[in-house]
Amino acid sequence: MRKFLIKVNGNQYDVEVEEVQGKTVSEPSVAEVKTETPKKAVPANPSVSAGSQSVKSPMPGAILKVKVAVGDAVKKGQVLVILEAMKMENEIVSPTDGKVASVNVSKGSSVNAGDLLVSID
Amino acid sequence: MITKEDRLQELKAKKTKINIAGGSVNIEKQHKSGKMTARERVLILFDKDSFVEIDAFVETRGHDFGMQSKKALGDGVICGYGTVDGRLVYTSSQDFTVIGGSLGEMHAKKISNVMDMAIKMGAPFVCINDSGGARIQEGIDALGGFGDIFFRNTLASGVIPQISAIMGPCAGGAVYSPAITDFTFMIKKTSYMFITGPDVVKSVTGEDVSSDLLGGADVHNTNSGVAQFEFDTEEDCLMEIRRLIGYLPDNNLSDSPIVPSNSNNQESALINSIVPEDVNKPYNMLEIIKEVVDDNNFFEIQEHFAKNIVIGFGRFNGKTTGIIANQPNYLAGVLDINSADKGARFVRFCDAFNIPLLTFTDVPGYLPGVDQEHGGIIRHGAKLLYAFSEATVPKINVIIRKAYGGAYIAMNSKHLGADMVFAWPSAEIAVMGAEGAANIVFRKEIAASEDPAAVRQQKINEYREKFSNPYIAAARGFVDDVIEPVETRMKIINSLNMLINKRENRQPKKHGNIPL
Repeated sequence: MRKFLIKVNGNQYDVEVEEVQGKTVSEPSVAEVKTETPKKAVPANPSVSAGSQSVKSPMPGAILKVKVAVGDAVKKGQVLVILEAMKMENEIVSPTDGKVASVNVSKGSSVNAGDLLVSID
Repeated sequence: MITKEDRLQELKAKKTKINIAGGSVNIEKQHKSGKMTARERVLILFDKDSFVEIDAFVETRGHDFGMQSKKALGDGVICGYGTVDGRLVYTSSQDFTVIGGSLGEMHAKKISNVMDMAIKMGAPFVCINDSGGARIQEGIDALGGFGDIFFRNTLASGVIPQISAIMGPCAGGAVYSPAITDFTFMIKKTSYMFITGPDVVKSVTGEDVSSDLLGGADVHNTNSGVAQFEFDTEEDCLMEIRRLIGYLPDNNLSDSPIVPSNSNNQESALINSIVPEDVNKPYNMLEIIKEVVDDNNFFEIQEHFAKNIVIGFGRFNGKTTGIIANQPNYLAGVLDINSADKGARFVRFCDAFNIPLLTFTDVPGYLPGVDQEHGGIIRHGAKLLYAFSEATVPKINVIIRKAYGGAYIAMNSKHLGADMVFAWPSAEIAVMGAEGAANIVFRKEIAASEDPAAVRQQKINEYREKFSNPYIAAARGFVDDVIEPVETRMKIINSLNMLINKRENRQPKKHGNIPL
């Protein structure tokens, strides 16, 4: 029996796989899959600290303006997009100095909390 | 024969030993890792020459695992009292250079003793943490020591201000003492707090994480809300602790110190230009706060966590006031789980220590979303309502702009016992925003019309004209006065003076049951 820790869409699963030996493969050996309640990722998104930083929508709302394009150099605190939510034109700012790696929304798109807006290298 | 001179020499030798308890090698190591020694910290915290050490001769009683060979005078913690701007303050400062600052039986006894003194004498207590945790060699004697400290932290809560400074590791059980105290200060890069460290986390959940990302100053100041302050250097941290103490009373029966201000009581017209004409445009609430407090001096607390609510101390005519304000610049100033927790705990601190409460309201509502609902926004949001209702100190509310729905009620409204509620002419006190309300109230009319968009806009305008103002609420007496922005400071000072002898008797009870 071998144990694997598998991450799917941010949810973590403990998977135990049994190696079947000396048998024909006439019947498929089914691996026992034990799902665990998904654990929340560790705060401070350690996984992204090395590569690009993703800027996510803090609230559900609509994109009013996109103020950067892919390849733009941005400074920490610079406005990336304007998110209209809770009757307010919220300025979503860059958490870091860097270069815009992707812009994942366009003017008018509606977003949910947690949706990726922009990623910065 | 032992002469008097011998005895004096013996004492002097012991005192010298006490001052460098950990030995020069360990002290050098401490300095190299960017940290000060326990004694250096205490000397910075207190006014010059005011520190008086107690229990310096206490040693461990442990005999197992060679403890007697490791023992040092003071048992790894410096306890005592001194003055901060002339006011009595007690402290304990863990000495990492002595057995890693580990908490043994006598070490804990010293801390408990100085806490007892602080409670008896009614003076603030500052606990400086720099410890590897419980001293394993002393077993449950050490463990019990933690319990004794937590118990006293709880007894002292609401009686004397308690401040924790984390200046090194603070792991396992040790974290619960800071958690119970009123304010926790951390140092970037050299301090961290967690229940279980990176190694245990890795072996149990497989997550690979560094100490700093698991429980460093940034994490606890931005994500978890465990700490209220973070600094680059220990010196800055200790100076800010002194500044914080300057705002606080000695205990729950005394008043905050009065600090004379240079502010004249003429309002500057600057305040008029802060709030944009367009109600959908954000602005920085801090600008308004700084305009009205003495000397534009606002001592913000927990500035990186739940930034949609701002909390901190300011003074009016020299007297400390607790300020809670929505921040339109962040998440539109909504109330959510974290901002409700942050606000409520601060309200309760102020109420416990007789510090008047002042709110600036500009809140569009509670944050909608599955995360919020499943995270328990109902019980978290309720804390804010509970805390304001429970508070019997003078309560003043200034409604700047939006005050919608349940969030209006939660933000120190008349209904929760606010003594004075002011509104600016820009205030919109309503059950919800004009757009939402018009869509609901005139749904059929809008749908049936030939040009729904035009009719909707017309209805929104109608609704806004009729309800999005402070006068409906003022007509009911929910707002005591509608004021010009420039009058704000004067009105607040006048109200605080009027409320100075406020007495409010409630039904006697053991304690309420705040939704936790």
